[in-house]
Amino acid sequence: MIDPHLLASGIIFGLSMGSIFFLMTIGLSLCFGLMRVISLDQLLYYAIGAYVTYSLSMVTGSLWLGVLGGAAVGGIAGFAVERLVYLRIYQRDITFSMITSFGMLIGGVGIIKYFWGLVPRPVPVPITVQIDILGTAVPAYRLVVIAIALLAYAGIWLFLNRTIVGKAIRAGIEDVEHVEGLGINVSRLFTVTFIIAGSLSALAGGLHAPLIMVDPQMGLEVLAFAFMVVIIGGLGSIKGTLVSGFLVGQVVSLGSLVYAPLAQMAPFAIMLLILLLKPTGLYGSPLLKR
Amino acid sequence: MNVLRWWGGLLLAFSLLVLLRVFLPLPFANEIVIFSIYAMGCNFLLGRIGFISFGQPAYLAVGAYAAAFYLYYFGANAYIGLLIGVAAGLLVSFVVGPLFVRLRSDYFALVNLALAVIIYYLMQKVLADITHGDNGLWFLTNLSATPVLDLSSPNEFFIFALALAFVVWAFYKYLDDTVYGACCLATKANEDKLRFLGYSNFRIRLLAFVIANTTTALAGALYAVYLGFVSPEITSPMRAADPVVVTLLGGAGTLYGPLVGSIAYTGMKDLVSKAVGNWELIIGFGLVFIMLAGEKGIWGTLEPILKKMLSRARIFAVTGRDGADNP
Repeated sequence: MIDPHLLASGIIFGLSMGSIFFLMTIGLSLCFGLMRVISLDQLLYYAIGAYVTYSLSMVTGSLWLGVLGGAAVGGIAGFAVERLVYLRIYQRDITFSMITSFGMLIGGVGIIKYFWGLVPRPVPVPITVQIDILGTAVPAYRLVVIAIALLAYAGIWLFLNRTIVGKAIRAGIEDVEHVEGLGINVSRLFTVTFIIAGSLSALAGGLHAPLIMVDPQMGLEVLAFAFMVVIIGGLGSIKGTLVSGFLVGQVVSLGSLVYAPLAQMAPFAIMLLILLLKPTGLYGSPLLKR
Repeated sequence: MNVLRWWGGLLLAFSLLVLLRVFLPLPFANEIVIFSIYAMGCNFLLGRIGFISFGQPAYLAVGAYAAAFYLYYFGANAYIGLLIGVAAGLLVSFVVGPLFVRLRSDYFALVNLALAVIIYYLMQKVLADITHGDNGLWFLTNLSATPVLDLSSPNEFFIFALALAFVVWAFYKYLDDTVYGACCLATKANEDKLRFLGYSNFRIRLLAFVIANTTTALAGALYAVYLGFVSPEITSPMRAADPVVVTLLGGAGTLYGPLVGSIAYTGMKDLVSKAVGNWELIIGFGLVFIMLAGEKGIWGTLEPILKKMLSRARIFAVTGRDGADNP
C-alpha cells in the first residue's frame, strides 16, 4: 500500500500539474471552439512565456513580474500571429491550420534557440516555504499555482458569462454566422480570443518554469500531454479542459507513484478508453465542421 | 499502346531516378528513394481519403524497430527483417485502425500524433532495457550478405530500394484505377452520398489506413536496414511534420508528388543544415510559407503546365501548326 504522506504530496503534485495543463491547453480549446482552427502555436507561447519569465526574473529578481511580462509577450505574439497568419487560413480546411501552426511551433523553437541558446536554464522558485497539510509538508508554490489556475478558470467563466464580449464569444462558439448577422464584428472577436489564449498559454509557461528547467524544446515536450488533455476534455469545451487537465495531472502523478514508466503511458490508455466510449471527448460537442 | 501509356510515366520517372544516381552521391539518392516510399503513405491518406496524419513517424518506428529487433537479437538476414517490419506495420495498423478511423479528421490527426509521442517514450524510456534508450540499436555488423542483391552494401541496396519503390508506385497507380480508388475519393468528397450508395465508409477508410501505414512501416524497415541503426529519434515529434511537408510540397494526392517533394525536401534540408545550424527556423517558417502560398505543391503546379506543353507538341506534330492559336 502507498504511504499516505506520499499519496497526499502526490495528489498535490498532480493538481499543480493539472493546473499547468489546464492553462496550457485552454488556448487551444478556445481557438478551436470559436475559430475552428487547431492552434498548436499555443505551445510556442508556453515556451516563450517561460523564457521571458526566466529573463525578466533574472533581471528584476521577481518571478511574478516575469510571469506578467511573459503573459504580455504571449498575448502580443498571439495578436501578431493571428493578424499575419490565421487571417489567411480561417476559410480553409481545419487540417491546414494544424500544419501551419505546427510549422510555427517548430520555427519558434528556432527563434528561441537564436535568442537564448541551446542550454536549459534553471528558474529559482520564488516561495520556498513548505506548508503542513495533514502532516505532510507540501511546497507552497504548488498550492499557489493551483490557486492561480482556479482563479483563471473563474476569470474566464466570468468573462464568458458576464461581459458582452464574452457572451458574443460564447454565441460564436455555437454559431458564427448568426453572431455576424447581429452586427458584431466577428473578426475582432477572433483577435480578442487569440490574445487571451496566447497570454494564458504564456502564463502556464511562466508558472511552470520554476518547477522544471526551461529549454528550447519544452513546447514540443508537452505536446503529447496537451493533446491528451484536449482530446479527453473535448475540443472547444472550457469545463472539459479543466476536468481533463486535472484528470491527466492526477494520472501522471499517481501513476508514477505506482510504477514509474506508467506516468507516460497511463494517460494514453485513458485517452483511448474515452475515445472508444465517446469519440468527441468528455464534454465535446458533436458539432461538425463549419 | 494503352499498356505502354500506363507504365510509361512510371518508367520515365524511375529512369530519371536512375539518372539522378549518376550525378548525386549515393546516401542522398538512397535517402530520396526511402523518403518517397515514406511520403507515399501520407500522400494516400491525405490525397485520397482526406485524413491528415501527423503520426506517420509512429508507423515508421514500428517498421524500423520490428526489423531492428529481429536483426539485433535473432537473425542476420535483411530480407526477413524487412518482412517482419512490414508484418508489424500491418498488425499495428489493424489494431489501432478501427479505433482511429472512426474519428473526425481533426481528432484523427491529434490521436496519431499522440501515438507517435507515446511510441517515442515507449522506445526511449519504458522499453529501454531492450531498445537501449537513446543510444539506439546498432546492428550494421550483424547483417550477413543476402543472395541476389546484397542489402548490406549501399550500392546494391539502392537498386533493391528503387525496385521496391517502383512496385509500390505501380500498386498505388493501380489502386487509383480500381473501384476502390474511386470509393476513396468519394468518401473524401461526400461520405453521406457514399453511404447512400451502399458502401461502408468505415471499411474504405480502414483499408486505406492499413495500406498507407503498411507502406510507411516498409519505409521504416528500409531505413533500419539501410542505416544499420535505429534510435527513438526516428519517431521524435520534431520529425512528425516531415512526411506531411513532403506531401504538401510535392502536391497532395498527385501520383508523382511524393517523389518530387522528397527530392525537393531532402535537398533543401541538406543545403539548409550545411549553411546554418538553426534548421528548425528555416523548416518551420518554410512550412508556414508553403501553406500560405498555395495548396497545390510543386508537382500539382507543374503537372497542368507539362500536360499543356505535351498536348501542344502533339497537335503541332499532327497538323504542322502550333495548336495554341488554332485549336
